[in-house]
This record gives sequence, structure tokens and C-alpha cells, in this order.
Amino acid sequence: MFPWVYGFEWHPGYLIFLGVFFTVAVVVAGTVLYALWRSFRAVHRKQEGRIYWHTVFEDLAPEERRCRHAITGELPERCCDREFDCRGCRMHARLLYSDEAGARAAASEQAEVCGISLPLDRYYHRGHTWVREGEDGALLVGLDGLGRRLAGGDGIVELPAPGTELRVNEPAFRLRRNGVEARILSPVDGTVEGPACDGEALIRVRPAAGFHTAHLLRGGEAAAWMRHELDRLQVALAASCGAATLADGGGAAPDLGRSLAPREFDTACGLVFLDV
Amino acid sequence: MVERLDEGWIARGVRRAPFDRFLLWAAPWAALLALGAYAIFLCLRDGLFHTNMDNRYVFGLWIFLDLAVIALGAGAFFTGFLLYVLRKTELRAVINSAVVIGLVCYSGAVLILAVDVGQPLRAWFTFYHPNVHSMLTEVTFCITCYLTVLWIEYVPIFLKNRRLALKPSMLVFEYNLHKVMVVFALIGTLLSFFHQGSLGGLFGVLRGRPFAFREGLLIWPSTFFLFVLSAMAVGPSFLALTTWMAEKVTRRRLVKDEVYQTLGRISGKLLLAYVFFKCLDTLLWINQTAPERGFPAHRFYEYGGAFGTWILFTEIALLGLVPALLLLKPEWRARRGLLIAGAAMACLGVTLNRFVFTIQTLALPTLPFDRLLLYWPSWQEFAAFGFVLAYGMLVYSFSYRYLKLFPQERELAMTEAKR
Amino acid sequence: MRKQGAEAGTARYAMLIDLDRCNGCGACMVACAVENNVPPPQPSATPRTGLNWLRVFRLNTGGRDAFIPVMCMQCGEETPCQSVCPQKAVELDPATGIVGQIPERCLGCRYCMAACPYQARVFNWRDPQWPAGMEQALNPRVSVRQRGTVEKCNFCHGRWQAALEKAAHEGESGPVRYTPACAEACPAQAIRFGDLNDEEFAAECRGEGVFRLLDSLGTGPKVFYRTSRAEVREATRGFGEVKRG
Repeated sequence: MFPWVYGFEWHPGYLIFLGVFFTVAVVVAGTVLYALWRSFRAVHRKQEGRIYWHTVFEDLAPEERRCRHAITGELPERCCDREFDCRGCRMHARLLYSDEAGARAAASEQAEVCGISLPLDRYYHRGHTWVREGEDGALLVGLDGLGRRLAGGDGIVELPAPGTELRVNEPAFRLRRNGVEARILSPVDGTVEGPACDGEALIRVRPAAGFHTAHLLRGGEAAAWMRHELDRLQVALAASCGAATLADGGGAAPDLGRSLAPREFDTACGLVFLDV
Repeated sequence: MVERLDEGWIARGVRRAPFDRFLLWAAPWAALLALGAYAIFLCLRDGLFHTNMDNRYVFGLWIFLDLAVIALGAGAFFTGFLLYVLRKTELRAVINSAVVIGLVCYSGAVLILAVDVGQPLRAWFTFYHPNVHSMLTEVTFCITCYLTVLWIEYVPIFLKNRRLALKPSMLVFEYNLHKVMVVFALIGTLLSFFHQGSLGGLFGVLRGRPFAFREGLLIWPSTFFLFVLSAMAVGPSFLALTTWMAEKVTRRRLVKDEVYQTLGRISGKLLLAYVFFKCLDTLLWINQTAPERGFPAHRFYEYGGAFGTWILFTEIALLGLVPALLLLKPEWRARRGLLIAGAAMACLGVTLNRFVFTIQTLALPTLPFDRLLLYWPSWQEFAAFGFVLAYGMLVYSFSYRYLKLFPQERELAMTEAKR
Repeated sequence: MRKQGAEAGTARYAMLIDLDRCNGCGACMVACAVENNVPPPQPSATPRTGLNWLRVFRLNTGGRDAFIPVMCMQCGEETPCQSVCPQKAVELDPATGIVGQIPERCLGCRYCMAACPYQARVFNWRDPQWPAGMEQALNPRVSVRQRGTVEKCNFCHGRWQAALEKAAHEGESGPVRYTPACAEACPAQAIRFGDLNDEEFAAECRGEGVFRLLDSLGTGPKVFYRTSRAEVREATRGFGEVKRG
């Protein structure tokens, strides 16, 4: 096998055969080591969150990746190909300007979808968090109505420590309830200042470079999206346990953690907080 | 409580049987595994006289099944090639399953080989003092390398288990392995091409066995290329068959219909090409190769019984051409029953081909005063194969239960619920 | 007289077996087993699993019985078993023309056994066992093999080694002469052993009524058979061989 081993032959067939073998071995080992090195580097550069979200988004079914503008009916059926980060999306930019006026007009209203309140003075993230500007320029982040129904009274929401860097679509919070754990995504880029004193808000965040909202939902769009999410939840729970949870015209139970069996609660958390 | 023991390990959004029912399913396979382990232990402790192999039937059930499962497990490399290199993205739905099947087939085959050789502890001799003229050397090197590649391809599937993925480092490593998967797919294709071919070359180069000997291109007999082609043809079929069986056992839809159609179509095309070249090769062998070596081909089939001409007809026409047509014609392929029947027949046909080259080659005498001898495996040989089968079922069941073998399962469950 | 062109010091050992003399007594088989430390068969052994380096077949001639001893033919052209061994445990020795089997290197994959058209190779299906006391009669010049290895006739290589040592001790050079156990034991003197580089012996091997088994395969076997009986020749003729004369 090696030149110093008895029986080694210096003829073309032997050399080609062993050459190919060693090349393959080196390429395989080298590729694995390269993947390992990239992993160490990613962890060092704190890219776990981005990788987590990329992996989760890949596993979402097409109907879970519907473009926000398809949900509102502005566009025909379309899947998001930017991992719900509308900030660089050309399609969204084209539609954004046409919708500005309508969104501002709806700002002072309150919407309600199937019993879930949807204050329209704030922006919503597709991971069921909301964000709005506070008095001192900090941003307030909290769970929306559906998220709060899942957290319930006895759910523990682990907050990120003060000083933690948050990035859009990367895990920020962790919900623990009934033995189920779900990661909740951050709606904004920024640094955590600390827990919020405002009732519904969870944390205060100092934005990194201004408050960018292109990737967030607002106004009438948010209501359409919440209806879509409740539909999704109902279908998933029917698939999972065969029982209907939302009758026509009814409302979501105030505490879904109590009214759902453990496995259904687990499914619901995964679906709502996009932690599949 | 036993039913929910492993809930935290099962992915969200999919349903799995309660844990106690899973144990009930696994129990008979575990029993078969234990029996097979005992048979293997006997052979390793005392010697191969526990088998019914002898100086004439030097290869028996084990080598025949090794060749067959390696051909069937070719779906792993071929699906990887189709997905990562030719970009047939619909196969993303079955690539994980294909990798697990490949892993099970190859690791099972290597395990059986370790028992089949007389001195397993000397296995490293082939690497340290290789004889590059021997096809078996080539097979050994390639299969060892490819098994390593399969284990590496299994790692990201394993790391995506829900509980393991909670650790960020696991997810990051899985992500980075996935990014370089095309390298492993290409290496896997290269290695598989050579070892599938060399397994055919094993018999094609036997100058002393005119039944198996074939002419070819340079150092490679025609059986080299025919084995590669038949493996590529049957790989997608076996994948379709196992997916269908998984759907039947679990009673849920795991892949969309377009996946079955793609697998069936590719398998059908390659099978037709294989049948064509096999016919050419057989005609050449009957009319030239065998007679030139002093053995008119008809003499091989005059023993009748298990080794009559029916075997040739069955292999090429009944289990070659018929499934090729079933899989090629869109109207027939669209019917699930016919597609699965075609896939099963294709798998049987290639298995029969491997049988012909191992068992029939050895059954036929070469010395004019010698006679045809028959062989039936001992219980230890059956049990050892049962070990591999049980091992495969357990690994596949475990992977199905705890890992995301079928990415489309969630989506299909939601679609079903909507209806 | 040495053949012209034969390399100095090399031999091409061969056998010439007279089928008209062979009476099937099997003494050659016994002598071979004794010489080469072949263990006695165990209760579970069958003719198909037994360790017989040399097998004597009965030929169906339709008339008076004939017998043919078959052993490793020491194939000299594209030796089928040599090219297939993955570990190079098979070596055609250019100095003697003998195809040697290295038991310490054999993995037991049995590929060489599948390759051999003469089915001359046998496998140790279990550990060799000798009845108490019999191990003292083992030949110290021949290695004892383990289970799981292949073995075959090697023209009594141990005797060749002994002859070589004796010749070196006596200051002689050139290819040595020795007699394998089977040739020595045959009561009818049907087996003759010689060197094809010796013109006289080579001429006998080309003589009237001499043939080789499975000549059409082109493996260059170095065991020749002679018979004057047409029915014996018929029973040993390959399927598609053309009758000569």
C-alpha cells in the first residue's frame, strides 16, 4: 500500500489504483474537516441563529411559506424565497409604496380576528411577536394575541439577557410550558436593554441602525395574516388529532395550553412560532 | 406513560405510534436479530462448516444476497447523483430515505462479508498488500470508502433529530455538511460506479468459468457495465418499493405522486437500456465467447430443473422487459399498483441476475467427468441473513420514527386534513 | 538435456500421468495427505467439504473402468487463481513454475476457488484436528494451515526445499530433482514427475495419446495425461473440443 511496504510495485496500474484511492480518501477527509472548520467559524461568529432560521425555513411546507402579499390577495399564489426577510425583496418594494397610505390610515384602529385582539398601533412579525417604538427611542417587543394564548398564565418565557445582540428572524425568546419548548424569533435588529415595564411588552431593544419595518406586517395586512395563521393552526391540529378547534364564528380559547392535549399543544407551538 | 416516553424526540407536526406500539413492532425484528447474532457467533467461533457451502459452492446464500442488496442499495448513490448533480429537486423528498436504505444495505453486506471470509481479522491485508489486478481488491476498496461516505451522509440526517437539533453546534455542523453534500454525492457516484461494475467484473473475468466469462472493453468485461447499468436501473425501483411499503405500514402518505413517477420513469428507461445491452451480450456469449472457450452455450442449460433455459427467459424477458414497459408507459405508470408491480419485478429480475452469476456459475461443472451439484443453505446462513434484514428494519424504523426521513410528510398531512 | 532458451537454474516442473496404469487405488491421495499435513476428516466432513488436494475420479467409459487423478495443474499461462487473489496470497514462482499458496496471507474469501476451472483448491471449513498422538507424525517441512484458509497441491514444495538445501550443501547448482509424495507412492508408477525444461521429459509430454484437461481454456496446465484408450479420451474431452486425428 505504501512504497516501504513489501510487495509495492512501481508500475502504472498499481500507481493509478492507489493514487485514486488516496485522492478519494483525502477529498473525503478534507471535506469533512472543512465542514468542521466552517462550523467552528460559524459558532465563533455567532451565526447559529441565522443557520437555525435557514434550516427551519427550508423545512416549512409551501403553504407555510406563503408570501405576505399572496395572503392579502395582492399577488397570485407565491412562496417567499427570502426567508421572510422582505427588506431586500424587489417584489415587496414595488408593492410597499402603493400601500403606504392605506397602512397609515389604518394605524389608529383596533382589529380583532376570532377573538384575538390585534392592535394596529404596532408592527407584527410572522413569528407572532410585535414591535413598536417606545418613548425614548427604544423599541418594545412582545408576543401577539395568539402567542400569549399559547404562553398562557403558567408558561415561562425566557428573555434574552441585557446586552444580547438580536437579529431579525433569529431566536430571541424561549417558551417553556407543559414540557414543551419553543424558540420565538426576534422581529428586529438591535441590542437588548432589559425587560419592559409596559404591560404587554416583554423587552426593550435599542435598534442597531434605525427602526426598519419593511419585513414587518401592519394595518389590514396583519388582520389578513392572522386569519391565515388561524386557518393554518386549525388544519394542523385537525391533521394531528382529528378534532376541530375553531368552529365557524367562534373564537380561540383564552388559554390554548389548557384546552389542547400535550401533543397538539406541541404542534401548535411549532406552527405558530415557526419552530418546526 | 410508556406511550409518551419518547415524545420529545419525535419531530413536530407528524404523528407517530405510541412508544409501546413501536416496541411491539420492533420486538420480532429484535428476536430475529438475536437469532442471527447467535448464528454469526457460531460461524465465527467454530468455522464456516456451520454453513452448507463446500468446495464446489464456495459462494452461497451470503454472497448472492450481498450482491443483490448492493444492487438494490444503488438507489442511494443514484438518487444523490440525480438530486445534487442533475438537480432533480423532486427527489429531495426521498433522498434521506435513500441514504438510510443505502447505509443499511452496504453495512449489512459488509457485516455478512466479515462472517463469510475464513479469516475476518485479516481483512486489512487487502489494503496493505493489494493486488490491483483482482476485481475483488477493487470491490473491497470501493465498498469500504463508499460505506464511509454513506455514514457521513447519514450524519446530517441524524443531527436533524429534534432533540439533538436543540444544541446549536449540532445544527451548525449539519448545515455545513449539507452545504458540501455535492462533494460526497460525486464521490459516492464515482465509487459506486466502480464497485457496482467490479462486482460484475468479479465473474466476468473468470477465465476458468466459461458460463460467467465475458469479453469486454480493455480490462473490464461486459458484466462490469451491465452490473452498473442494472444497479442504476433497479435503485430507483427499490426506493419506490420501500417508500410504498413504508406508506402501507405507517398508513400515511409520505411522498407526493410526482416522486413515484420520477423514480418509475428513470428506472424504466434504464431498465430498457439494460435489457437491450443484456440481450446483445447474451447473444455474443452464446454465439462466440462460450464456444470459443470450448463450451457451447446450450450445454450449460441441459441439466434442466432449477437451471434450465427458463431462467434466462425469466431474467431478461419476464423480469426485465415487462417491468421496463410497465414503468415506461405513462398510463400504466400512473396507476400505483402497476408501478409498484413493475418496480418489484425489476428488483426480482436483478436479484435473479445476481443469482445466476453466483450460484448457477458454481453449480455448473467445468470438468467433463464432474456433475451438477445442488446446494441449499443451512439455518445458520438463513439466520445470518435474517440478522441483516432485522438490522435493516430496525435502523429504518428508528430513522423513520425519530428523524425527518420524508420531508413532504408534514405537508401531505396538512393537505389530507384540509380535505 | 536442457531445453534451449530455458533460464539457467529455473525449472518448469510438470507431471505426466498414465491413465492406462492408474487403477484408482487412492494410494496417491493418502500419501499426499500424510506428506502435506492434511488433517483427517472430522465426522461432519463430506466428499464436498473434505480436504483432498488430490482427487481420483472414476471415468464413465462404458466399458472397463478408468480413473483420473486431478490436482492443481500449476497453470503457467494467465494463471486464473493468481490474478484474482486480493491479497497476493497466490504466487507463480518463476524459478519452479509452481503456483504457491501462502496460507499466512490467505483471507479465506475463496475467490481463487471460484476461479479455478479444475476445482483443485480446497478450503478449511473448520480448525484442523489430529487424534491424540498423531500430531507427532506431522511433516516439519510443511506448514499446518488454520481454519478459514485455502490450500492446494503445490507439487510437494517441502520436498523441493529439502532437495534444494541438500544440493546447496553438496555444492550442486542448477534445478533440483525431487519426487512428490503421490508419484513416490503410486504402486503402478502411473505418476511421473519431471521438468519441462528437460527436453526428454518435454518430448514425452508431447507424445502420442497425451492430452491436458480443459486445454481450450488456455490456462497452460502442467499436468499431462496419457492414454491409448479412445473411450478414456472421450470421457475426458471437454464439451466443444475438436477430436484430434
